[in-house]
Amino acid sequence: MNAATPLPPKPVADRDTQPFWDAVAERRLVVQRCSKCGRWIWQPRPLCPTCHAADPVWTDVSGDARVVSWTVLHPPVLTVWHDKLPFVILLVELDDAPGVRMIGQLVDAAGDLLQTDGTAQGIDFGAGVSLRWRVDEAGQTLPAWTVS
Amino acid sequence: MTIRNKNRQPVVAGVHGLPYSKDIGMTERHSGALAILGALDDAGLTVNDVEGLTRYVWQPTTEMEMARVTGIPNLKWFGAQDYGGGAGPPTVALACAAIELGLIDVAVVWRSRNRSSGGRPWAGQMLAEGQDQFERPFGIVRPADGIALIVRLWMKQFGWTREDFGQVAITVRGHANRNPMAMMRAKTLDMEQYLASRMIAEPLCLFDNCLETDGALAIVLVAAERARDLNAKHPPAYVTGYALGSGPEVYAMTNYYGERLGDSPNAYVAPELWKNTGLKPEDIDVVQIYDAFTPQVPLFFQEFGFCGEGEGAQYLKSDECIPYNTSGGGLSEAYVHGFNLIVEGARQVRGDSPSQVEDVKHTVVTGGNVVPTGALVLSKEPW
Ligand SMILES: [Zn+2]
Repeated sequence: MNAATPLPPKPVADRDTQPFWDAVAERRLVVQRCSKCGRWIWQPRPLCPTCHAADPVWTDVSGDARVVSWTVLHPPVLTVWHDKLPFVILLVELDDAPGVRMIGQLVDAAGDLLQTDGTAQGIDFGAGVSLRWRVDEAGQTLPAWTVS
Repeated sequence: MTIRNKNRQPVVAGVHGLPYSKDIGMTERHSGALAILGALDDAGLTVNDVEGLTRYVWQPTTEMEMARVTGIPNLKWFGAQDYGGGAGPPTVALACAAIELGLIDVAVVWRSRNRSSGGRPWAGQMLAEGQDQFERPFGIVRPADGIALIVRLWMKQFGWTREDFGQVAITVRGHANRNPMAMMRAKTLDMEQYLASRMIAEPLCLFDNCLETDGALAIVLVAAERARDLNAKHPPAYVTGYALGSGPEVYAMTNYYGERLGDSPNAYVAPELWKNTGLKPEDIDVVQIYDAFTPQVPLFFQEFGFCGEGEGAQYLKSDECIPYNTSGGGLSEAYVHGFNLIVEGARQVRGDSPSQVEDVKHTVVTGGNVVPTGALVLSKEPW
């Protein structure tokens, strides 16, 4: 890839978020959970905001989820996505971690970004979705979801 | 309980804005300086009178740089407020608080932004840190992408339709058509055009999004006891009060991880504003609502109690609906991070709006919502 190749935004981890991205590299989805009060925590934080216990435990989840909301993107977007439009971005709530909502792209069963005809591909409130792993244009692995 | 000293009430004594354009042909430091000098002239003051400068964090020119450019000899009060367009009323509040405390008598607040010629900020941010690392690589890049997911929830929760949003776009376009300063002064809009326009981030179409503008505006705030002696060109607009708010677990633009999904920071600003001002919705004659996106308008009316929860869209269609965004707002006058709404609020009170409402006693101006934000009330009469 030369300098002119358009790229997507690159996630930059810090000490508090590195374990999430390390797990993603192994194709595992993890979410923090407080070992003291049991609260699920998202986005990652160094302390439990409810009881202030340190070191919330990174906990494996299945990634099974329900659709909370969605949008279908149209131009203008970043150059890297020009020829992939329209595609769908989901806000999903994880079945294993109540209250935890994540952003992810709608992909096909193989994990490739689903270019749509402009519709949301039958996505609706509460629709069941399953975790897939998408490798983006820069080689970055990202959690993504497909219709169950 | 707020403490009120009539001598220390902040007064908007001068306002100024440069003509809006797609390419203003000067730096933001240059246009900002001209806006500030114009506002001082409107107030009958000079740079030698200025003791405080406050700005948006997103303003690329610092207070010190602006003091150097304009020749302000000494700043006794300065600072900046964060969170994009949410910073408008909070930046004014930062100056007002210093005036009320008696720390300074004269402050200037400005916003200059080359949001058109300077390019789209979202297109250049390729490293996603902090909250962005869980959003931008996944496609939530433009402000419209972030709010679209929340708008869909509001539509479901409140029964809002695209036609409701279209009515907002058409109403403010009508105001812009009467405003010789407005970017959209010569372009009309009807429902057919609205519904036929292209999607940007579904359910938001082109006309649900604000403009991309180069602009520069400033206001001068003066303690009431000092304002009495001024040779200002217009009557004063009194700052009756203001409030800031975040709500729990707030995220800028992507406020969807907290327990109360769909809540916006303005829901927390509203009760504080009414408490701090001693006013209620029935006291308000006209409002300037931060309108980067049309759905923020019906949301305002229900969050601030002009109607019941979920009744924002019905309220807009009813006879009770008071005039809003009378200069054309961010959707049709200019998008300068909401500062044109602050200036228009002052004009409605002074009596020199292009869509002047009769006998304005109080007006509310809000900052960008779904980010930490604030609101203020400008009034014809002092405390
Ligand atoms: Zn805990």
